[in-house]
Amino acid sequence: MSEKSKPRVAIFDFASCEGCELQIANIEEEIIDLVNLVEVVSFREVMKEHSDDYDIAIIEGSIVRPMDVESLKVIRKNAKILIALGACACIGGVNRLRNRFTKEELFNEVYGKTGFGDNPLFDVLDETKPVDGIVPVDYYIPGCPIDRNEFKRVILALCEGKKPELPGYPVCVECKKNENVCVFEKGQFCLGPVTRAGCDAICPSHGNSCEGCRGLIYEPSNECVKEVLSRYGLDYEEMTRRRNMFNCCGREDQ
Amino acid sequence: MEFVLDKKSFARFVENLLSDESLDVEGVKEKDGKFVFGHLDSASDLRLDHDVTLIPPKKYFLPQYETILRYDLSKPFSAKAEKEQKGKVLLGIHPYDVAAIEQTDRVYLDDYADEGYRRRRDITIIVASDILDVSDRSFAAAMGTHRIYSGYDLLLTDLGGRVVVVVGSKKGKLLLEKHAANLAKAASPADLGAADALRDSVEEKYARVLKVKKEKWVELLEHSYGHPLWGELAGKCMQCGSCTMVCPTCYCYDILDETALDATKGKRVRTWDGCLLQDFTKVGSGEVFREGNTERFRHRFYRKGLYIPKRYHFTACVGCGRCATACLPDIASPLEVFNGLHERRSESAGGMAYALPETEKKKKRFDHMPACATIEKVEKLTGMEKLFEISMDDGDAFEYDPGQFVEVSLFGTGEAPISISSPPSGKSSFELVVRQVGNLTNKMHALKPGDKVGIRGPFGRGFDVSKLEGKDLLFVAGGIGIVPMRSLLAYVLDDRNRDRFGRVILFYGSKTPKDVLFMDEIRELEKKRDVTVKLTVDRCDEGQCWIGCTGVVTSLFPQVEITDAENTAAIVIGPPIMYKFVLKCLETLGIADERIYVSLERRMKCGGGKCGHCQINGVYVCREGPVFTYDEVKTLPEAFE
Repeated sequence: MSEKSKPRVAIFDFASCEGCELQIANIEEEIIDLVNLVEVVSFREVMKEHSDDYDIAIIEGSIVRPMDVESLKVIRKNAKILIALGACACIGGVNRLRNRFTKEELFNEVYGKTGFGDNPLFDVLDETKPVDGIVPVDYYIPGCPIDRNEFKRVILALCEGKKPELPGYPVCVECKKNENVCVFEKGQFCLGPVTRAGCDAICPSHGNSCEGCRGLIYEPSNECVKEVLSRYGLDYEEMTRRRNMFNCCGREDQ
Repeated sequence: MEFVLDKKSFARFVENLLSDESLDVEGVKEKDGKFVFGHLDSASDLRLDHDVTLIPPKKYFLPQYETILRYDLSKPFSAKAEKEQKGKVLLGIHPYDVAAIEQTDRVYLDDYADEGYRRRRDITIIVASDILDVSDRSFAAAMGTHRIYSGYDLLLTDLGGRVVVVVGSKKGKLLLEKHAANLAKAASPADLGAADALRDSVEEKYARVLKVKKEKWVELLEHSYGHPLWGELAGKCMQCGSCTMVCPTCYCYDILDETALDATKGKRVRTWDGCLLQDFTKVGSGEVFREGNTERFRHRFYRKGLYIPKRYHFTACVGCGRCATACLPDIASPLEVFNGLHERRSESAGGMAYALPETEKKKKRFDHMPACATIEKVEKLTGMEKLFEISMDDGDAFEYDPGQFVEVSLFGTGEAPISISSPPSGKSSFELVVRQVGNLTNKMHALKPGDKVGIRGPFGRGFDVSKLEGKDLLFVAGGIGIVPMRSLLAYVLDDRNRDRFGRVILFYGSKTPKDVLFMDEIRELEKKRDVTVKLTVDRCDEGQCWIGCTGVVTSLFPQVEITDAENTAAIVIGPPIMYKFVLKCLETLGIADERIYVSLERRMKCGGGKCGHCQINGVYVCREGPVFTYDEVKTLPEAFE
């Protein structure tokens, strides 16, 4: 591929831990292949250079402040393709947990009497939103953090002019293939049955339960949920609490 | 031939196997309080007292992830099949799992034998073991799979202090001779009696009973298609697919290409898929067949109890109970579902009887390695469709029937089933018309003459031209349906064949004048005296020129008189919605169902009736179709959904 035809990629972050960007930086030996494939023009976490001339924008983080909304809109305008990177950008993630509080409650809780007055750096939206709550998103790379292989797959597909696709089935499929003892059978709660696969069931395969960080793909009926919870002696509050960690929708979910 | 080994000798036998570097020794071992099949590091790893393993030993023949070939995109066409394989010994397979392997053997080896499966099956030695402990959810005794008389190379019966070994094959005998030469003694009548008593006693350990024998499942399901139970249970289903993953008799799969980040080296991977999953039937254009939860939920049980029994004459359930254990809302056990249907027979509604369409039994080899072919010509037909002339690089005549399809392969992107659009010519080349709808067809549209593609096939059942001979032929095409139809139409109108067929009428409907395919060829047809051509478009947008009719394709029927309906065959190919209306017109005309031919589209992924994606109730579009007589599919509820 000639230098000229390489897509120009810019990586941006909003409210997040930047762990997903770290996953990109950690591609290690294949990073050479990545930079052969694309030209990275902006990536604050690993480089000083910056350019506003890019084809693909990759966004990490959820949108928390009015000023972020404006920056995001500019990025959307500049980019031909916009990708949401990680749980915060794709579904709001843990940042959305704050949506159960009003702006005032939140300020009071975090900053107390000090306050920050009119400083726009500390101004927040009424609700924390995922990237697609503000601008249209073309592709998603879910997870907390993202799966490096999935990131590579998506980037490669785009470079080859293809539409990247995410698995349309839940984590259970990968978990069963990995021959794990079901987390429910161990008496714990797991979001694997309703969470989008693509992580190779990494948490259940290492003795933990699925937290739903890749987003829910299926909303089971109440009847089904009740049946499952009672069969395994688990309670509804526990389930809601676990689901809300990454998939909190708003105040009604408290 | 029966032998006995004391416990110490048996351990030595296993150690001997483990020290044989030509063998990979796998067996049942413990994992987190449950059991799995896995690599044994020592004889003490092996457990013969397991109730059931988390997933069945099918993984050794159809691995969860199997590299079927490796490609290199830096070359025009480079693919290598994977052939790493060491001999394998599998220790501790329970009788019901042996029964399941015998079933998959039938599916994967009898007809369109799968190369990868055959290779792995050939190098594997099955050392079965009689059941000591019974899983709570298993109903193997009710299925008659709690003990076996065949299907193993060696059968172990662990009697505590000693292990009785029954030789089931030459492979088994050789293994025993090589690795237990001085350890195995001839079994005494007392040993054999004890082993038999143990097998007899297993049956009593099963608590779960079938209220409707497995032989009666076909009949039960033929009367239960519309039973309310399906909806009730599907309402609780999480669609997680676990039941199909852990099932020893489920064998559907998907195929994916994975290219490394260097954008050149990659592999084509086969992986387990399940009919319960939402995207299972999704085709390139994004359309999903069998879309409802209830329909997918029901399909799994119909495969187990009706579709596979009708095709292979065995029940596709061995009663291991793994699905019941894995299913969180506990709605997956065939025992409970069929018992439920039986008890609530009075609520039964909706019949589902069909006969499997007859196809030529071709015992040919089948694998996923495409043959190299070259694009000779590319012609743009419309904004969406391009015609490709493709020739096989081996230069041999590419023989096919009108109506058959091929799998077009582009490494790094995948495969797609495409109908052949040209008449059989006896040459090594043929034509395809490709509509740009998904990743593969997009890539295809970017190809130029001289580029290489992979071709597998031809697949499926095309038109039986001998049955059309002497008949008047009414062709009804909607949209891209003209593509497979063109193969037959051109064959019939070829000077060498023309006098074997009667009058030819073509009704062809398109969306707009821009979408009409093969306009030049159709204009030529219109000039022929023995051909009647009628065209219509749904709408003619402003600024477009159109001389034909406007309206749906059925509006053409009153324009032509069918003089001899008794001796007319109709060939109907179009989008799903079209069939319902056209079939009604044909009925009015008096054209019998067995003289109406349709060609159906589904997700034909493998082409050999294995992967399961193209199934319409009990028939495979890739095997019995894509061409069917209406008579053959009219009782299949999923055919024209």
